Amino acid sequence: MKIPSALRGLVPVLVAIVVLAMLQLVLGDAPFFVYLASIVGVNVILAVSLNIVNGMTGQFSIGHAGFMAVGAYTAGKLSLLIKDVAISGLPGVVSDQVQFVGSLLAGGVAAALCGFLVGLPSLRLRGDYLAIVTLGFGEIIRVVVQNLDVFGRALGLSGIPQTSSLFAVWFCVFLVVLVARRLVGSTHGRSLWAIREDEVAAEAMGVNTTGYKVRAFVISSFFAGVAGGLFAHFVPIINPGSFTFVKSIEVVVMVVAGGLGSTTGAIVAAVFLTLLPEALRSLFLQLGGLDTGASLAQKVDQIRMPIYGMLLVLLMLVRPQGLFGNREIWDVLPRWFPRMWKGIT
Amino acid sequence: MSEPLLHAVQVGIEFGGLRALRGFDLEIRQGDLKGLIGPNGAGKTTAFNLLTGVYEPTHGEIRICGNRVNGRPPHQINHLGLARTFQNIRLFRALSALDNVRVACLSEERPLFSRAQIDDLRRRSAGRSPVASAMDALNNYVDWWRALLLTPGFQREEAEITRRADELLRVMGLSHRRNEEARNLPYGEQRRLEIARALGTQPRVLLLDEPAAGMNTREKGDLMVLIRQLRDQFSLGILVIEHDMKLVMGICENITVLDHGVTIARGAPERVRQDPKVIEAYLGDSYLAAHGMEVPAQSTTSETPLA
Amino acid sequence: MSDFAQHLINGVAAGTIYALVALGYTMVYGVLKLINFAHGDVMMVGTFLGYGVAQELGVERQSTLWGVLLIFLAAMAGCAILGFVIERFAYRPLRDKPRLTALITAIGISFTLSYGFQLDFGPLPGAAPRAFPEVIAPREWLIVGDRSVVIWNWQVISLAIAIALMLALQGLVYRTRFGRAMRAVSFDHRTAALMGIPVDRIIALTFMLGSALAAGAGILYAIKDTAIQPLMGLYVGLKAFVAAVIGGIGNVPGAVVGGLLLGLVEEFVVGYSSSSWRDAVAFGFLILVLLVRPGGLFGRVAAEKV
Repeated sequence: MKIPSALRGLVPVLVAIVVLAMLQLVLGDAPFFVYLASIVGVNVILAVSLNIVNGMTGQFSIGHAGFMAVGAYTAGKLSLLIKDVAISGLPGVVSDQVQFVGSLLAGGVAAALCGFLVGLPSLRLRGDYLAIVTLGFGEIIRVVVQNLDVFGRALGLSGIPQTSSLFAVWFCVFLVVLVARRLVGSTHGRSLWAIREDEVAAEAMGVNTTGYKVRAFVISSFFAGVAGGLFAHFVPIINPGSFTFVKSIEVVVMVVAGGLGSTTGAIVAAVFLTLLPEALRSLFLQLGGLDTGASLAQKVDQIRMPIYGMLLVLLMLVRPQGLFGNREIWDVLPRWFPRMWKGIT
Repeated sequence: MSEPLLHAVQVGIEFGGLRALRGFDLEIRQGDLKGLIGPNGAGKTTAFNLLTGVYEPTHGEIRICGNRVNGRPPHQINHLGLARTFQNIRLFRALSALDNVRVACLSEERPLFSRAQIDDLRRRSAGRSPVASAMDALNNYVDWWRALLLTPGFQREEAEITRRADELLRVMGLSHRRNEEARNLPYGEQRRLEIARALGTQPRVLLLDEPAAGMNTREKGDLMVLIRQLRDQFSLGILVIEHDMKLVMGICENITVLDHGVTIARGAPERVRQDPKVIEAYLGDSYLAAHGMEVPAQSTTSETPLA
Repeated sequence: MSDFAQHLINGVAAGTIYALVALGYTMVYGVLKLINFAHGDVMMVGTFLGYGVAQELGVERQSTLWGVLLIFLAAMAGCAILGFVIERFAYRPLRDKPRLTALITAIGISFTLSYGFQLDFGPLPGAAPRAFPEVIAPREWLIVGDRSVVIWNWQVISLAIAIALMLALQGLVYRTRFGRAMRAVSFDHRTAALMGIPVDRIIALTFMLGSALAAGAGILYAIKDTAIQPLMGLYVGLKAFVAAVIGGIGNVPGAVVGGLLLGLVEEFVVGYSSSSWRDAVAFGFLILVLLVRPGGLFGRVAAEKV
């Protein structure tokens, strides 16, 4: 079936909407599953978006949780403010969802703006500095939020309308993956890779390296903000403790383990590294009953961090390119479904 | 005859008290094939880096196609028409040969404002035009959206870029390496790929930094022919830095000789080759004495008249 | 006015500790061009080593000069070994790889140490904060006016030890052959090797030296703040790192100046507003400095050789 070239870009989106809507109908009512899938989805968005900066562009940002926090608090606060206001003329559910989307966008834009302000000065400098500045940014956000009443200080914000859904989270996952994929296949993606390979040569070949780096950073921050906004709408409370430096490093581990530059790798690693501790936690709770199970589950949380640390060290020593290196699963698929593939992408 | 493509006037640079380059003059017009030589540490690479925007000159002025470029970032200098290769090959190693060239190819079609419009604005305001920068930024913004939405305009651009890159690979005899990762190419082909990549930016002036390094005699001969062909086929002006005397004397019509940051000779190859100052710089004054030649007086700014 | 003086004293006290740790960061960056994220956690290990020795010696009951000396030496020696091991097995194999790889490894080690020490089985201390024993019986050393400004004896002793360590380092770096070799290696590995300098050994020694200094700083910190816990390395380390960058990373006097400045700025901001903003001060200050002087106060943004 020949797809008119003007619409080629939209076909995957339509397919995704249909597929996700069906999933939503079938699985949307199992609360634990939805919660788990939402957590996984949020982490996938974080990993794929960080991969754009750390992987494709070869920079080193370690403050992703900060942008997530900006998105979460902005979206959450906005939703709290407008939750009693209904849009006239629309049924309640639709009105809620419209407000939800609005909050998400606000969160994403706020995070993108922060990304711009943070990225512009620091991306002009050499690589190491971005790490320091992003780290600092994450910490500053945490301290700011912890000290302002409007954000609930250490207790955080509660009562945010839980308007997120399986469809919402995974549609955003789809979007970020699509963006990453479309970037890679374009002149912009190639320029980002060139910057990663050799910034001096890229600049000499006419690539505005600072401009590209900032743009990649802004896009990445936008999606981190969206992830945060989604997060705020399916957990009962958000507080500074959810957006610490530890969270930033978790995302870095996912990107590195999956392979710096590979979107597929980021997805796989995010799914695996999110599900594994959750699974272990549930397992211990189930097996051990409430007491020993709970303390074992707590042990899982505690031991997770040093294990991540050792994982990073081992990875770098043994397989620094991570799981997928910089290849994607769609580099392999075309061999099996060539015509259909070319039609869509 | 109009403005030279590349015009350096009394260019100099000072690094914390040390004058690495002083009083450097250079003109490159279309069809020129000039050389820049000098012993190690003479300032050749410094001159190159000044011309390509890696360093900002502390003295003098550099103009490309009439535009003053002091202090502009290298990517803007490239857009104005100057491309370069590197002494130590700096290809995008993990990218394919095709992609290496594609990175350099900027498509002609810009979504909102044409490149000519923006360049014209910039030229008229002597380099600093916020309106031009804003237009550029808007262009890029729309461009990224087009890439995301896979619009027909974007698809056309991609096709054009790929076509141009393929053509350049063909000209440089690298079509058979199209999808190979650059790091897997043999040395000679890597050098050719670097040139192909530089040509992708559609330059008016091409700067070649030690293009023959590491090549054997036959390859150097081929390179000499290639450089001449490129100059004619792409209507370029070319400047070559080289250590290999035969190559430089063989193809360059005019040679500038640097020593300790100063131009000590300039002219046709014959003249330069016999200039005692040049011989002294390369071989030392004991050589001169041994061959019964006069040691020239110690003046730092004299030079043979332009040939 | 007396508030000001008190803040000044406290700021200098904190600043010297930051300076000592910052020196380790800056020296390692100088020879390896690596930001050793794990440095602060090495300091933490040193503190706990000192704690262990102090417990064994029963210092609570009776503190002697030799006891204190032993605590310092044990901590510094232990950390020197730790530094050697880390460099040898985690950083050296990656020396030819892109810098990012080593950075990621450094973060990995940092996490392993800090969160590893938070686990509480076996010899690992566990997350609960402990009180470092009083190795120096606190006595007021100098009182101004009516107790408006108090300088404690341990503050003076701390400062003296810190200054002694810094002077010793200064002598080492600028007046000995080892110091010259270290500076040669930080300039360029290959050139140094061609000059006959055993690059690997110099780098290992630099690491050990920096780690020992960090351990010393850790003990001083424990004397000052008494409460120690496994995550302290992350916080102090981060701030000391900020101090090193402010002074110009790779620049030894810069690290000292940066440390002192940071200690003072932090103390004054917290003193005149509220302590909950403490953590943000360091980074805010850093960003300000970097905006104005991208290379830090004494550093130079080195042009890359093209």
